[in-house]
Amino acid sequence: MITINDVTKSYIIGGNQVNALNNVSLEISEGDFMAVTGPSGSGKSTLLYTLGGLLTPNVGRVTVNESDIYSLSQRLRARFRRENVGFIFQTFELLPYLTALENVMLPLSINGINGREQEDKASDSLEKVGLDERADHKPTELSGGEQQRVAVARGLVNDPKILLADEPTGNLDQKTGDGIMSLLSDLNEEGQTIVFVTHDLSRTVMANKDVGMIDGGIITVNNRDV
Amino acid sequence: MRTENLVLKNLARRKGRTVLNSIGLIMAIAVIVVTVTISNSMEIKIGEEVEKYGPNIVVTPDTKSINVPYGSVTIGSSTFDEAKLTSLETIPNAVNIRIISPKLFGQTDYGESNLLMVGVNAGDERLLKVWWEINGESPEPGSDETLLGSQVFSALELSIGSSIELNDRAFTVTGYLSETGSNDDYTVFVPLATAQDMMGLPGKVSVVDIGALCSDCPVEDISQQIMDAIPSVKATPVKQAVETRMMAVEQAANFSLGLASIVLVAGCIGVMNTMVSSVHLRRREIGVFLSLGADALFVYRIFLFEAVLLGLAGGLLGAGLGVASSVLLGPLVLNTATSISNVPTYVVPLSLGISVLSCLIASLYPTWMATKIDPVSALKAI
Repeated sequence: MITINDVTKSYIIGGNQVNALNNVSLEISEGDFMAVTGPSGSGKSTLLYTLGGLLTPNVGRVTVNESDIYSLSQRLRARFRRENVGFIFQTFELLPYLTALENVMLPLSINGINGREQEDKASDSLEKVGLDERADHKPTELSGGEQQRVAVARGLVNDPKILLADEPTGNLDQKTGDGIMSLLSDLNEEGQTIVFVTHDLSRTVMANKDVGMIDGGIITVNNRDV
Repeated sequence: MRTENLVLKNLARRKGRTVLNSIGLIMAIAVIVVTVTISNSMEIKIGEEVEKYGPNIVVTPDTKSINVPYGSVTIGSSTFDEAKLTSLETIPNAVNIRIISPKLFGQTDYGESNLLMVGVNAGDERLLKVWWEINGESPEPGSDETLLGSQVFSALELSIGSSIELNDRAFTVTGYLSETGSNDDYTVFVPLATAQDMMGLPGKVSVVDIGALCSDCPVEDISQQIMDAIPSVKATPVKQAVETRMMAVEQAANFSLGLASIVLVAGCIGVMNTMVSSVHLRRREIGVFLSLGADALFVYRIFLFEAVLLGLAGGLLGAGLGVASSVLLGPLVLNTATSISNVPTYVVPLSLGISVLSCLIASLYPTWMATKIDPVSALKAI
């Protein structure tokens, strides 16, 4: 479904070139639940955002269903993101002035969906993460775990082909983090393709594919039955 | 949820700061409104004064003969038929003509010397020259009575009720003018018909002063209409004083508008500063929008809609402040009474238009900056 071919992404930091991704190739199939692990600065987040169409590589191609997403114009790539990708962030990134329901409606609003349909879909999505009763609460009135569930619901609401999660449990305690991982696992079992980044190896046990990175390069790819 | 709701909800949580940051813009709009309103009031006031003080059209025979200065106009020795004045009723702007005061000029012998004599309908003249202060009474039309200018009265050492012989004809002094500082001080006024009879010019007049209500009509047009209606006369608009006053008002208004423009530029810089800081503070939020699939158009819509709202709020507050300042401070600062009814109807749309346009212009660069934000670095993901 998604193929990364010989991708290199470099930055100039303090006058020196740093390769965040170094000649990386990877394939993600429909229904995968892929964990990307590695220490800080290994390039795992860069890989995630490159997959999601947010970071243009210096070299290489990222193809989704045979289409090179970085050959698209910015406008079409934005459209690709809103129709195919859902993002979940470590710090949730919910808008503080919107309720949980409104936060989940945001991608639909950006996509130009009408108000009634926005509300129905966002309610369904919140129900899927078990937060339908907290729909009218602002983020500050929700716990960290609840906020991340809202973020998951927001990531899912557009029925994306792939859900990309950057350290989804990084800001949560162990128990709450377990809950989020269970939720992602359940979604994967329903057919949702998910790629998540974590530096916590214990979080990879539910994944069916485990990619290990160091210094911008992939060093291990483990397929496992879960 | 519409994009507009998103902007409203965001503005609602920082409305205090938004208003504070918009003070420059509000002040600029207020200054513009004060300028427009006060100068409008002053124009109205001047219009009223012009109606009240003196003639604003002088009709003389269209002659090439040697001219004699009288007041602000010159007159010739020629005359024309008073009867022709009935044609004034037929001009398109006849309704604007308020006073018609015909006069006949001449000289009269008084002992060894000559005096300037003016035949006039004292009642009409008094309406035109509101500064005339008559001590005693005006002469009765057609009578042998006279009203004397102050200098004549004092030089001849006369008193009210005295008899005076003009061209060997006895006149009774019914009154005299207080000093006017004009030629009137040296003039002997007699009833028009009497003057015509004395000079052997029945039905003739030298000059006709006309007072027209011209605050809403150009005096030049009325003058032309008079010349069209009475071919042998010359109608001259007296506008120098009015124009000088209007010029002073215009200069003051231009100065204020110049000042307002500077304040407006400062206000725009304030708005731009607000928008730049808004973009900076909302980098992560913009990063979220972009990661969720928003394109540049969406970002423009968010920020420019915010600019329109800021502009509308600034325009309304500025217009309100400006109108209130005009009404409350106008009489104190500029000695010009300004009431709500003096506020031109276009003030509110003008304020909103200028304010919204300024906000939009000031927001273009910050919004362009917002569209260039790298969502990944905004989210500090790496």
